[in-house]
Amino acid sequence: MHGLRELQLGFASAVLDGAEGDFDRHVRTAGLSGARRLQVYRNNALLSLTGALEAVYPVARRVVGEGFFRYAAAQYIARHPSRSGDLHEFGEHFPLFLQSFAPAADLVYLPDVARLEWAYHRVFHAAGHPPLDVTALARVSAERQGDLRFELHPAARLLESAFPIPRIWQVNQDDHDGDSTVDLSEGGVKLLIVRRENLEIEFRPLEDGEFELLRALAGDCDFATACERAMAAQPTLDLPACFQRHVSQGVLVAFHLPTD
Amino acid sequence: MTAKPALSRLGPSSIPARAGIGLRAEHYAAVLETPPPVGWLEVHSENYFGAGGKPLDYLERIRAHYPLSLHGVGLSIGSTDPLDQRHLASLKHLIRRFEPALVSEHLSWSSVGGRYFNDLLPLPYTEEALDHMVGRVAQVQDVLGRQILIENPSSYLQYVESAIPEWEFLVELAARAGCGMLLDVNNIYVSARNHGFDAGAYLRAIPRHLVREIHLAGFTVNRFDDGELLIDTHNRPVWPAVWALYHQAMHRFGRIPTLIEWDSDLPELAVLVDEAHRADAILEECHAWAA
Repeated sequence: MHGLRELQLGFASAVLDGAEGDFDRHVRTAGLSGARRLQVYRNNALLSLTGALEAVYPVARRVVGEGFFRYAAAQYIARHPSRSGDLHEFGEHFPLFLQSFAPAADLVYLPDVARLEWAYHRVFHAAGHPPLDVTALARVSAERQGDLRFELHPAARLLESAFPIPRIWQVNQDDHDGDSTVDLSEGGVKLLIVRRENLEIEFRPLEDGEFELLRALAGDCDFATACERAMAAQPTLDLPACFQRHVSQGVLVAFHLPTD
Repeated sequence: MTAKPALSRLGPSSIPARAGIGLRAEHYAAVLETPPPVGWLEVHSENYFGAGGKPLDYLERIRAHYPLSLHGVGLSIGSTDPLDQRHLASLKHLIRRFEPALVSEHLSWSSVGGRYFNDLLPLPYTEEALDHMVGRVAQVQDVLGRQILIENPSSYLQYVESAIPEWEFLVELAARAGCGMLLDVNNIYVSARNHGFDAGAYLRAIPRHLVREIHLAGFTVNRFDDGELLIDTHNRPVWPAVWALYHQAMHRFGRIPTLIEWDSDLPELAVLVDEAHRADAILEECHAWAA
């Protein structure tokens, strides 16, 4: 008799890898063949995982069309199997996959559109966080301020693209009406994807300086270095106002001083 | 299980012997605007594994009005891979936060070698698989600190190796692991048709004290040139033959909390509520017999 583990591994090879071999000898053929019955499970797995990708990447799907999306999804699923019983974790590598997916090579902006959708998905499900304790921050002595490390809200992400991805996102929403042309020469964007207090998600285009400031802080740079990078990126930046704004809008939510 | 005082943010803690409906994101707003007259709600646990955001916010507000059941679809309890402790920890956290009256999973597996099908796959019904399931259910109940219910799946194949009828496997599992049963009447019908067994005999083999919850849903018929298979699609109303089987089930088991499941091609909320009322009418009838 075949053990349970061997049977499950054999099932996975037959259904996920299409390496059917003689696995159908384990399947009773009452009426329908074993191969037919296994095919149902192959379809179910494909539908389940394709559905998960469609839920996270509706804009990419709309851009390429349903048939193309399903084709791409099937290739992705074969190359990057699901690793969790929670389907919300599936699809993380889809943007990178699209970048090297030859049939989509002409759609140069597609991987970035997918990046935006994955960021949206993660922000949607991210933890909440109370605002930064400004009273405690004010107690940090002037000479230590440069050493401060700040944290972005768990529901905040930064994304840079050479294409106008918020515009592409917007014209591909179900409720969009009016002009739906996108001018790719409109240029790129530096974006903050952030969830507001009311749980709605917003795309905020940032200027070079504030983008660099947040990116440096998110990358665990100390405050002094982050400020230098921000000013280097945009010498005209009103740094104090910019910092204040991201604290008061709940983008920067925590800080600590590293112990020496 | 001892009753604990409900916190003000949580609604009723126990599930009445009435019909409830599966709550899906598409209906959040409608449920909050006019809470429908159904006895309780059930959600898929994994849809609330996120750390925050709208799903948890809605569930919190809706939980204030209804008793809740958490139904898992991703634990892969029958897999020979180690149990996913992170998944279990998320489930435990969710149970603490929402205090569901019932927590359920499936008699199935959905991953092996670290790869997930994200589908409910059939187990061979062997002594080895039974021992395995008994150990796994016990492990899950230990971690969660409570009883879970195990649901019979719809299946599209039977293994040559299977030596125990599904109903005996489930009863034995419940007896040895101390879990309860979530009897999906639609799944019994679907599997009976797909494998040619008697659905009525299935029901008669289940001791009434094991059944804590009933599921009802719609299936789809897939026709092939060499025959047909019923597929458990949860995308349409309960079929008449399944209502008839439900009638038999309630006659046998008495009034059991019954859930209407509908997971894709969702209709408006009122359609689910109508289905629930239809189940309620049958539950009332059973009450009359019992009286």
